Amino acid sequence: MDWLQFYFDRLLQAFYALRDNRLRSVLSVLGIAVGIAAVMAVGAVSKGGSYLVFSELETFGLNSVWVYRDRNDKDPNRRVRKGTGLDNYDYYAMKETCCSAMDKLTPMVFSRERSIIQTGNRYSNARISGVNSDYLDINNDHIIYGRNFRPLDIKRRRASAVIGPTVVEDLFGKGSNPIGKDIRIGIRRFTVVGVLEEKSRDFLASIGSSGGQDANNRILIPFTLYQQMNGSKAINFFQLKARSLEEADLLSIQVKAFLERRNGKNYKYKTDTMATYIGTADRILSGVAMIGVIAASISLLVGGLGIMNIMSTSVLERTREIGLRKAIGASQADILMQFLLEAIVISTLGGIIGLILGAGSSIILAMVTGFPLTPTPLVIIIALVVSIIVGIASGFLPARRASRLHPVEALRYE
Amino acid sequence: MISLHNIHKSYYMGDVTVPVLNGIDLSIDNGEFVAIMGPSGSGKTTLLNIIGCLDSIDVGEYSLAGEKINTLDDKSMARIRSQHIGFVFQLFNLIPRISARRNIELPMIYANVNKADRYSRTTTVLERVGLSDRATHVPTQLSGGQQQRVAIARALVNNPDLLVVDEPTGSLDSKNGKEIMQLFGRLNADGVTIVMVTHENDIAACAQRQVHLLDGKIDQDTA
Repeated sequence: MDWLQFYFDRLLQAFYALRDNRLRSVLSVLGIAVGIAAVMAVGAVSKGGSYLVFSELETFGLNSVWVYRDRNDKDPNRRVRKGTGLDNYDYYAMKETCCSAMDKLTPMVFSRERSIIQTGNRYSNARISGVNSDYLDINNDHIIYGRNFRPLDIKRRRASAVIGPTVVEDLFGKGSNPIGKDIRIGIRRFTVVGVLEEKSRDFLASIGSSGGQDANNRILIPFTLYQQMNGSKAINFFQLKARSLEEADLLSIQVKAFLERRNGKNYKYKTDTMATYIGTADRILSGVAMIGVIAASISLLVGGLGIMNIMSTSVLERTREIGLRKAIGASQADILMQFLLEAIVISTLGGIIGLILGAGSSIILAMVTGFPLTPTPLVIIIALVVSIIVGIASGFLPARRASRLHPVEALRYE
Repeated sequence: MISLHNIHKSYYMGDVTVPVLNGIDLSIDNGEFVAIMGPSGSGKTTLLNIIGCLDSIDVGEYSLAGEKINTLDDKSMARIRSQHIGFVFQLFNLIPRISARRNIELPMIYANVNKADRYSRTTTVLERVGLSDRATHVPTQLSGGQQQRVAIARALVNNPDLLVVDEPTGSLDSKNGKEIMQLFGRLNADGVTIVMVTHENDIAACAQRQVHLLDGKIDQDTA
């Protein structure tokens, strides 16, 4: 246990020295604490944020592929300028012969006009989509009351609707069961056949990634019926589900090629996949996180410079003490270690306090924002290792200068 | 014990070389009490620093307790100082704000003495300098004479072969100075070898042997 005694004695020397300059030591400890806490908080926020974004993106269905007309097509030889470029013939053709990587397919039909949606004297401002019975599966939506559309509902253009929880609340009151009841869309009556499970999309809704739409404020109706109401066989876009995440890119190539083979004279098509959305979100989020961490790291750097500053001052003030310590048997290595230890004690204390502050602010942030923030043992180890490294880096130059002082000159120093 | 042969030492101030010691030959035996005297600038403090292994030699040979000093590196010099030499300074050089006991323990920390031994040896040397009741006092709570006794205790605690003493009474009144010199006398009677620099004749008279320096050379030696 000799070596333990050895380090304990030297650590004690460092504590005595820091106690001699209490205010200065406390201030530099705080400098490091703020730096570590800032890095931790920024890291936690960005981690929680990306977790939230990904968990919300996942609720759209990770294997999703969207295909729609490329509106930026600049080819002067094309004759058709108007329209969505997609219709029911494309739909049936795709269903029959398109794409080995395709698992599910739904047309998406919207209307330019907003219909009044009401039940008695209650109104809803929900967004209406014309879909088929695959829609729910593709979008990871679940029915909590009633049922999904049946293929015959679509084929026969039955006036049935699947509605979101916000619509239920607006039209029927919270907690009521609207199955079998009627709602009016424009001049038509629809029977509610199903209610969607609530989706947590607060974060995406707030940044507008879901088109500013509340996912819980949706009304789904058979796309065939919606087309009839619109007086058009146009389909705004298709949403597809690939057989696996890996095949999403393949599917987007296949479906684009399929449609351009059919309609290539008149239209070009574009595709999006959830994978590319996730990749984009990931790049943006990690970019933001990186900037945040860099900004926070600067405060850690400033904390390190603070230690370097007070250690330099301390070496100057204690020149005679250093001379004395050498006279009574301290080697250069002993002096180097003493001052390094003082710097490490400051930075480690700062690291521990910063860890507590950082964890505390992460937990408060978690409570305020609902971000799932989980401080892990790894974070604790990293924070401590980083603060020890900061201590060594900022203490090294002053400590080396101290160790190299000539004992005679140091003792003579006034 | 101490053997100095043809010691030369110069200081360099920019381009100017200032010779301080010009060929010192001196040997000191075990148990001697030697006072080094001389006017300021005669090189007596430099000689003392060389004897105390704090400063290097330009030319010459120095051996202490059988070890050749002039070729040693920093680590070995530190070991020599730790094992063989105890220093007493004019300005005491105690570390403020830590107790007398902790000041005295410092040399033992650098010599890697274990905690129990440190405690008992500190108690012994405090008794030896007559300060057993002041162990927990910090330097500012002690008089000048008491502070110098703590410094002497610190110098003695590693049982050195040699005490290197620089103007020990320079910061003390005559009564305290006398007591300190009596303490050195007792220590020397117990067998401790002492080399002391002073410019006061009555202090030097406490030593058995007086060495006078003039312009970096030994002018007079009573041995």
